[in-house]
Amino acid sequence: MELLSIAAILLGFLALLLGAGVWIGVALMATGWAGMQFAGGAIPAGSVLATTVWGNSASWSLAALPLFIWMGEILFRTRLSEEMFRGFAPWLNWLPGRLMHVNVLACGVFGSVSGSSAATCATVAKIALPELKKRGYDENLSLGSLAGAGTLGILIPPSITMVVYAVQANVSIIQVFLAGFLPGLLVMMLYSGYIAIWSLANPTRTPPADPPMSLRRRIAESLNLIPCLLLIVFVFLSLLMGWATATECAAWGVLGSLAIAWWQGALSWESFWASVMGATRVNCMILLILAGASYMGTSMAYTGIPLALANWVNGLQLSPYALIAALTVMYIVLGTALDGISMIVLTTAIVIPMVKQAGFDLVWFGIFLVLVVEMAEVSPPVGFNLFVLQTMSGKDSNTVAKAALPFFFLLVLAVAIITVFPAIVMLLPRIAFPG
Amino acid sequence: APALVVPAAAQTKWNLPAAYPADNPHSVNLIAFAKDVGDATGGKLQITVHAAASLFKAPEIKRAVATGQAQAGEVLISLHENEDPMFGIDVIPFLSTSYPAAKKLWLASKPAIEKKLASQGLMLLFAVPWGPQGIYAKKDLATVEDMKGLKWRAYNVGTSRIAELVGAQPVTIQAAELPQALATGVVNAFMTSGSTGYDSKAWETMTHFYDTQAWIPKNVTFVNKAAFDALDKPTQDAILKAAAVAEERGWKLAEEKAKWYLEQLQANKMKVLPPPPALKTGLEKIGEQLTADWLKKAGPDGEAVIAAYKK
Amino acid sequence: MIRVFLDRIYLFSGYLAGLFLIAIFVLMLLLSGGRPLGVNIPAGDDFISWCMAATAFLGLAHTFKHGEMIRVGLLIDRLNDNVRHYVEIAALLVGVGFIGFFAWHAAIMTWQSLKFSDISQGVIAVPLWIPQLGYSGGLVILFIAFVDELVHVLRGFAPRYELPKPTSAEEIVERAMQSGV
Ligand code: NA
Ligand code: NA
Repeated sequence: MELLSIAAILLGFLALLLGAGVWIGVALMATGWAGMQFAGGAIPAGSVLATTVWGNSASWSLAALPLFIWMGEILFRTRLSEEMFRGFAPWLNWLPGRLMHVNVLACGVFGSVSGSSAATCATVAKIALPELKKRGYDENLSLGSLAGAGTLGILIPPSITMVVYAVQANVSIIQVFLAGFLPGLLVMMLYSGYIAIWSLANPTRTPPADPPMSLRRRIAESLNLIPCLLLIVFVFLSLLMGWATATECAAWGVLGSLAIAWWQGALSWESFWASVMGATRVNCMILLILAGASYMGTSMAYTGIPLALANWVNGLQLSPYALIAALTVMYIVLGTALDGISMIVLTTAIVIPMVKQAGFDLVWFGIFLVLVVEMAEVSPPVGFNLFVLQTMSGKDSNTVAKAALPFFFLLVLAVAIITVFPAIVMLLPRIAFPG
Repeated sequence: APALVVPAAAQTKWNLPAAYPADNPHSVNLIAFAKDVGDATGGKLQITVHAAASLFKAPEIKRAVATGQAQAGEVLISLHENEDPMFGIDVIPFLSTSYPAAKKLWLASKPAIEKKLASQGLMLLFAVPWGPQGIYAKKDLATVEDMKGLKWRAYNVGTSRIAELVGAQPVTIQAAELPQALATGVVNAFMTSGSTGYDSKAWETMTHFYDTQAWIPKNVTFVNKAAFDALDKPTQDAILKAAAVAEERGWKLAEEKAKWYLEQLQANKMKVLPPPPALKTGLEKIGEQLTADWLKKAGPDGEAVIAAYKK
Repeated sequence: MIRVFLDRIYLFSGYLAGLFLIAIFVLMLLLSGGRPLGVNIPAGDDFISWCMAATAFLGLAHTFKHGEMIRVGLLIDRLNDNVRHYVEIAALLVGVGFIGFFAWHAAIMTWQSLKFSDISQGVIAVPLWIPQLGYSGGLVILFIAFVDELVHVLRGFAPRYELPKPTSAEEIVERAMQSGV
């Protein structure tokens, strides 16, 4: 049978299983098994499953994943977000949009210590939503900017999504981390720019500034930022000074988070163990999906489908821009219904040979993927940041989704910008690893 | 990348997992081998080379072929030295320090390695060497005493024993994280070939390369014996013939390229040096110690191989 | 009796997975912090890799029982209770089948590692069946949990792997965080 029709059958099979509520990891495994039936050559499908999954999960670089998850679990239980709000707020009164920018800044900073988008969104929203509402800021803009800025948790390193991608695509984790910084700043600027323009256009919907504070007070308030900044500096110093490799800095991040929790009196044996078990469960959930994906990837390698598809796409003679545009549309569609990790693992086996053949750098493509995953986080009906904000604000899902829409389009704009100016992504990794 | 052909009825399709990137000389040689086999059998046997660990990761390849998950495979044979000392004979430091010596050692050890592989249902096809291993460092090394305190990458039995014997600090670093570890000074000395140093741009962090030719590791390509036996005689002969050609081609290429890589290191402003006499003597003494270590593990079989090699 | 026994197995293997997560943390700190002090953990990278496999697989049954093993709820959430019941049985059958298949082959692999004395490839030689025990053991426990659920749902009860709809704000936020992204 022709490989492309086999690919279509397998895709239909996978969609059927997922639609019927089969657990994602199991559905991937089943699809991998079905693929093996087309591979020919009497390959023992079961032994391949056992070997592949063992080889992929007993992995040094993957060990950073549960640690970054754990770090997020610990930080969520601290008062970090409150301190960040108080630290940033006194400095933003001169900007059009005033305190609304706290959402972006606080998410950016919290994103530098957390590896998760939903955790960043929830942690910052917990404090910023009520504070901004109390002061009379436009609630829709507040919701939208929190939904959008929350996704900085996975674009600014560390990032669970990046670890998953790097392991799947077999690229260096540290390079993908480095590549995320400037796009993270870019997205922050786009968000803040939008907030400023919106506020200039709607002057009546921005409340008056907080009463001015003395410089001393302001500085005193900003001292609240110190624990978080210390944690960022601590993690990056451990990297730069050669105390830790990219994988090991996750362990230092956990240690720093525990120290902050302890300092704030939020650390007890009970909360410690709760964070361990919470992280363990999230890790297991992701790992079963990764296991299924690695088996499906191997099965695809046996069939030769990814290469055939890559050649087929190559034969279409799309320009690189057209390919990225097509992939963006595909991911936006997938992202309405799937969460980010599943989206990445479902597609990498097929898409990576394609983008490689089109001449894209796999580090660059990692950032592209993170951006489309961010879109998925804020697109209905399944978007975890929307769920978080829906709950915290008590608004219905339509309102929240509509509020997030401008920020969704800003992410699309960010994809366009990094596609036209790939240097934004590649500059830092190139400086650190020339050639 | 290998050509993609939909299998016709009378065709046999083999998979050959390999661990190194598609443009690595070993992978290039494997792809040429696969093509030779395809040509010689008129397309009856199609071997697909899965480079860059895209099918199985390096540690799993041998086992995958032994259990029929793939019909053939290539692996750095010393990876399995814990399993049988014979697999680690080519990484005994300072035992064979040139290509002719390495070839001699290979021929001396080949029957024993063949026997061991056969006991696991594998049939040896051919072996191709890497470059000779030298020491990358950031300072002059006149004697082995100068190696004391170096942060030394220890990734197998031999390299950790060397660290122990010279008083260097063994450091555990995964290969993937080595460039970063070098850049930040986590590691300041390590042993590898000129080619690996060239690929990882060693000159960005290292200043010296001591061409000690400490050992010459090999990749070994093997097939699942049952899969081989299932082929008809002409196809089997075609494989063996292509294997012999691949082995010769591989050794020749490795030897030619080894020199080229050292020239490249030099061109990039690294000091490429022969080990100074005092360092050499010191290292040779360590080599004797490590050969004795190895013989203790390998027993009479090992003694017989070493005796044959030294003859 | 058997109920208590099974639930304890799921929970304790989950706790064991938690301990392996802590082990990864401690080992990494020692590996990284030990370097400037001149302390090396031989084959530390191997041990961390094995802890990773152990934490990932031993915790599966507990994760499943806790309702955190994700699936796409878009379609099934819209089904009426009767149809949903049969779809759940079908999903469970697929799960029992493939997790069983997986567990069986992982167990065979571990057994073969023991039989053929497979050994690790790093600085320290460790028989591979030992670290592989966590892998195959975790999958066997997950298989038991799936069979347990299938029997439960076949007897007409509501599945226990589906968390009830969250009632408080904290719960929803907690759930979103469990998405892992
Ligand atoms: Na982050
Ligand atoms: Na979505």
